[in-house]
Amino acid sequence: MACWYQTSGPSADVVISSRVRIARNLSGYPFSSKLDAAGANEIIEKVGGVLEPAGFRKIHFSGISPLLATSYVERHYVSPDFANKTTPHALFLEEQEGLAVMACEEDHLRIQCILPGLSLNEAYRNAARVEERLDESFDFAYSEKLGYLTHCPTNLGTGMRASVMLFLPALTMGGYMDALAAHLSKIGLTIRGLFGEGSGSAGCMYQISNQVTLGYTEEELLEKLKDAVGQTIEKEQKVRRSITGDALDHLTDKILRSEGILKYAHILSSAEFIKLFADVRLGISLGIVTDISYETLNSLLVETMPATLTLSAEHSPKNATARDMLRAKLVKTKLTPIDPNRKE
Amino acid sequence: MLCEKCKKRTATVFYNENINGKVRSFSLCSDCAAKMREKGELQDITSMVGSFADPFSEMQDHFFGSFFGLPALASVRAKACPTCGTTYEELASTGLVGCPDCYKTFEGELESTIGSAQGTTRHKGRVPARDRAKKQLEEKLGELRKKLDRAIETEEYEEAAKLRDEIRALSAGTSHKENGKEAS
Repeated sequence: MACWYQTSGPSADVVISSRVRIARNLSGYPFSSKLDAAGANEIIEKVGGVLEPAGFRKIHFSGISPLLATSYVERHYVSPDFANKTTPHALFLEEQEGLAVMACEEDHLRIQCILPGLSLNEAYRNAARVEERLDESFDFAYSEKLGYLTHCPTNLGTGMRASVMLFLPALTMGGYMDALAAHLSKIGLTIRGLFGEGSGSAGCMYQISNQVTLGYTEEELLEKLKDAVGQTIEKEQKVRRSITGDALDHLTDKILRSEGILKYAHILSSAEFIKLFADVRLGISLGIVTDISYETLNSLLVETMPATLTLSAEHSPKNATARDMLRAKLVKTKLTPIDPNRKE
Repeated sequence: MLCEKCKKRTATVFYNENINGKVRSFSLCSDCAAKMREKGELQDITSMVGSFADPFSEMQDHFFGSFFGLPALASVRAKACPTCGTTYEELASTGLVGCPDCYKTFEGELESTIGSAQGTTRHKGRVPARDRAKKQLEEKLGELRKKLDRAIETEEYEEAAKLRDEIRALSAGTSHKENGKEAS
């Protein structure tokens, strides 16, 4: 079975993935910044005792290369901070269900589920199921008033952060993103651009998540996020549909040119790929690009990332140009149908 | 295709309007589109963005309040958690507490910062398994007390007496199982 980035899910024209992350800490241990190596290893050992029999694979990050660690970041299973930690930390992974548990990140446990498309309820159910299993074996740090106690007070209460990765090319091109961001911040949600410098987003990809974790039930927080995401999807679709006449011809031309470059380029940088990716993805939803699927594009989004790409090669590319050629080759292979009459 | 206003940047906003048969269309760059929108020359979805349901609006002013920005007295700065040794000074500079007990040690100091970051200081969500039974009992008692009030109000004294017994039994920690079923 495929993992989250090799498939597509509900509302694939606008939603790339949904993620729910639950923070928990074991009582009787100090939080990460005060935890020594022995304590961290003890936690990893205990958590493994529960998760490994449940089908999770343990990846001790002290024992893996920086390249592989970065690849887990690119696949959205761990945070960049987690990959760079110097004290003992481990990932427990169950890829089929999109489940990843970071042990000894900022909190002792970050239980996460990531699924393709708009699947917040399912992602929450999966993560909560793992949380319940761990709850049976551990005494979580909890207070009746503040809820689950976390290293940083911004995660108190439910300890839950839910997010949706959205593809918003029409709202971006239309210049609506600032208005959307301003509105979301008013209702306790945040939006940030992905794959871009600062707040910009080269690939028109954004993540909307809950800012507040305390004072509402998990269900209420999810409902609020789902509501805002649902309305954002509608507006994105509406603006896409409003493109007609000359404008549509020019957009069609741009999209088909981008498709051409993706299929035939010999050297393809990460930044260029993201831009072309956005054009082609929009092209699929408008019916302009017909022979490429969301699934293929989603998987390329992760597989063309520097570390994951490098790891997939038989021989590591020697320099940036070699890596960009490797990327171009991978994209070409995935996007170009093989002609049965072609002579090798 | 260039923006028809500034004739410099590429047009990315394609606007079509039809008001009572009067048709207008523009090809604009996002900068010029934003300017026209400000002047009210474009009717568009920006106005609809404001119609997002807004159930949490009371929290809007709390998010970007500075965290741990409070000036602290020397005696407070030196205050330390007996369990992990974290001082208030450390807490204020990193924004991180050292252990679960820090939340008790620094309860007073943390109250306002938690309030400004979260908009509230009262948990409402999930409860650990060990506390769940207790929470359920409390919820049940609350429900029964409400029913009791209603019964008294409507002068249904027989029902009220039954409810009172049930509350007593639950409060004493013994669930109402004598009748062979859970109180419902």
